[in-house]
Amino acid sequence: MKAVGARLPRYDGVGHATGRTVYVDDVRVNGMLHTKALRSPHHHAGIKHLDTSRAERMPGVAAVVTHEDVPLLTYGHLSALGIPADEPLLGAEDVRYKGQPIAVVAAEDADAAQAGVEAVDVEFEERPALFDMRKSFDADAPRIHHWGAVYPHFEGEMNVRQIRKGDIERAFEQAYKIISGVYRPAAIEQMPLETQVGLSVPEPDGRFTIYSCTQALYFSMGVVAAHLQLPLNKFKFVGGTVGGGFGGKVDTATETLCTLLAQKSGRPVKWRWTREEEFLCSSTRAPWHMEIIDAVSADGWILGRKMLTLHDAGAYARFSPYGVTKHSFHHTGAYTIPNLHFDGYVCFTNRVPTSAMRGYGVTSVSFAVETHMSRIAEELGVDPLELRLKNANRIGDTSPNGITYTDPSTVDVLHAIAGATDADLPAPYRDASRDRRAGEWLPEHLVSQLSDSEGH
Amino acid sequence: MAIHIGRGIASIEYPTGMNQNGDPSQAWIKVKPDGRIDVFSGTSDIGNGAKTIQTQIVADTIGVPYDWVTFDNSNTDSSPVCTGTFASRATFVAGKAVLKAAQRVRERILEVAGLEMEISPEDLEIADGDVLAKGAPTKKLSVGDVAAAATWGHGELITGTGAQLNPYAAISDPTTGEVDGVPHAAISYAACAAEVEVNDETGEVRVTKLTQAYDVGKAINPALVEGQIEGGAIMGLGLGVLEDSYPYYPSAEHRGDDFGSYYNPSSADLPELHNIIIENPSADGPYGAKGIGEMSNNAQPAAIATAVHDAVGVWVTELPITPERVLRALDARAAGSGPRREGKHVIFDEELSINAVGSGKTWTAGP
Repeated sequence: MKAVGARLPRYDGVGHATGRTVYVDDVRVNGMLHTKALRSPHHHAGIKHLDTSRAERMPGVAAVVTHEDVPLLTYGHLSALGIPADEPLLGAEDVRYKGQPIAVVAAEDADAAQAGVEAVDVEFEERPALFDMRKSFDADAPRIHHWGAVYPHFEGEMNVRQIRKGDIERAFEQAYKIISGVYRPAAIEQMPLETQVGLSVPEPDGRFTIYSCTQALYFSMGVVAAHLQLPLNKFKFVGGTVGGGFGGKVDTATETLCTLLAQKSGRPVKWRWTREEEFLCSSTRAPWHMEIIDAVSADGWILGRKMLTLHDAGAYARFSPYGVTKHSFHHTGAYTIPNLHFDGYVCFTNRVPTSAMRGYGVTSVSFAVETHMSRIAEELGVDPLELRLKNANRIGDTSPNGITYTDPSTVDVLHAIAGATDADLPAPYRDASRDRRAGEWLPEHLVSQLSDSEGH
Repeated sequence: MAIHIGRGIASIEYPTGMNQNGDPSQAWIKVKPDGRIDVFSGTSDIGNGAKTIQTQIVADTIGVPYDWVTFDNSNTDSSPVCTGTFASRATFVAGKAVLKAAQRVRERILEVAGLEMEISPEDLEIADGDVLAKGAPTKKLSVGDVAAAATWGHGELITGTGAQLNPYAAISDPTTGEVDGVPHAAISYAACAAEVEVNDETGEVRVTKLTQAYDVGKAINPALVEGQIEGGAIMGLGLGVLEDSYPYYPSAEHRGDDFGSYYNPSSADLPELHNIIIENPSADGPYGAKGIGEMSNNAQPAAIATAVHDAVGVWVTELPITPERVLRALDARAAGSGPRREGKHVIFDEELSINAVGSGKTWTAGP
């Protein structure tokens, strides 16, 4: 019997359904300490004074860790992609979002750890905060980072991710109509059932066994190793089974601090975030602001697109520049538009840092592009299926950054939906295919974008 | 009060693998003395079915029954690098790593079997756990016997490694966004038709039906693909009409902080779901597969927004499409508001634009 193509039950499904799967929080080891965090009560503040000596003397407290205990405080998860580090593991001089961790306390139980947190002496100086990403460009916007509130480190030290293709000016001149719209999807939670949780066990051989709920074992191990400035052979990450991730467990939330506390106390340290922390202090999907201006012909060709995207990164970059770049590559959706002018910005606000979530960078643009397509169909009086079939990616078309589409299926999925909803498609739409453009499917404005080759 | 029914469609695409690539996955496989197979991969299973999919790929690539294969992703001491389970990369990129490792194991099994059977390995094949002479299937040796011969007779461990790395595609011109290579492993496609009911007195939007078609290249496990389609659809429904981390956005106050105060979909919100799987194989994926994990929550919000317009004639382009937003839009329409038309310009949502907030930035048509 062939396995590929078969409706086999989930490999680990029985364990999940019967509650026998072992998740990180199910692991308990002798002498294990519990962790609580001192988090910023302010959206934006300077830390004027931080003293943990009283907390360290509290009953049951085994270790307290602040920024002073971290060998490499600020490490960029995506430094390899050219995204510089901007987020300290623990707040040192500044806090830039409400909930940002400043100190962590490991104690015999959670109550003792919480009492330890409350015994940390800390003084803040509140600063003005920024929440509307549209105001990141204002001359008088609160400065969130030393460079301001707009990410300045795209290639060539540009503060904008640009796409330019074809001749946008000509497209607007030729347009029958120029249709503008603004699209603003909200931040939402990844909302895993399993909150952020980690357990770090110091082993007799000097290694650390780290039980992790990460979506990416090696990635998270690299993050811990970088902060601690230790080689990878000092760590054994145990995991692979995640109680819900959806992107919220790509950034490394607990493992590094558990390991620093384990190193300092010499005991195993577990940190399980509360449901409240999961909602309020872990990253969300980003709010986005997208403005689309499309040049269209009377019969429903999209001749050109001008687009502005603002992405609310929250207080720190995390994966945001990656997300905006991915967004820019896909800002034409499933369609071929030959003339493009795209500007995308990563805007900082005093929100919890936003980061990866299912569909990262593209969920936003799918909503914007498709709602805009529906509006164009309505404005022109063109059937929405026909409008989409007409502009659909076809073999030999090129993407916003000039890559040849080799196997696009826009036409096929639209035909499937037309069939399933009993839509009455007239010829030639009924007979359209994804094959290379010719004849009526190759109007003059799409000739120059065609790839010469069949391949990439 | 009246309930209005509306329909809308959306059509999307989504890349497989990290944008711009450069995201390796590796795997290794060893064979026990009775022919059973141990797979070591670093791919976390976040509910996407990575364990199942990779096990299926290994079973068929070697040619042994599925239940001969044990999958271990439990720790970094035994498993090699996997960049991670995100970017819809597990089936394609990590799947290709185990596929390559399994191909090597298959080759080694055939080499040892060739010695045992005194037949050239090129004239042998493996099916259902047996090594067979091509064209003479009565000449066979079980994979278990081959593994035993390797262990006790030849003093060898049958093993194989595999790695997949699509090369990083750098942005060669940051002013145009041009790249110096293909920036994805593959692209998947989908379309969605939504049906909604809108109550014009309460503003409530109820999604009643989602019909969805996904091209996944090859459904390695159709049940798991349907799980992604349906699970993603509900997440997309939440994005469309329910969820908001900042209910008084842009204010950062009054956030929901538990399951009771954050408004996410529940079983009561489930629409009728109709799933269609299309298999246009990708050029390079394992068995032609492409990713589906993430894109499955991308098409619904626009299809729902379009259906709301079809039902009651208003465009709500801030998500989620809450009762308050629907009622405000209905009030505005009753007061005569609509897009501004000037020459060939049709300008929707002017009040939401960056131009309207007195920002340091302005944005208009034209280059």
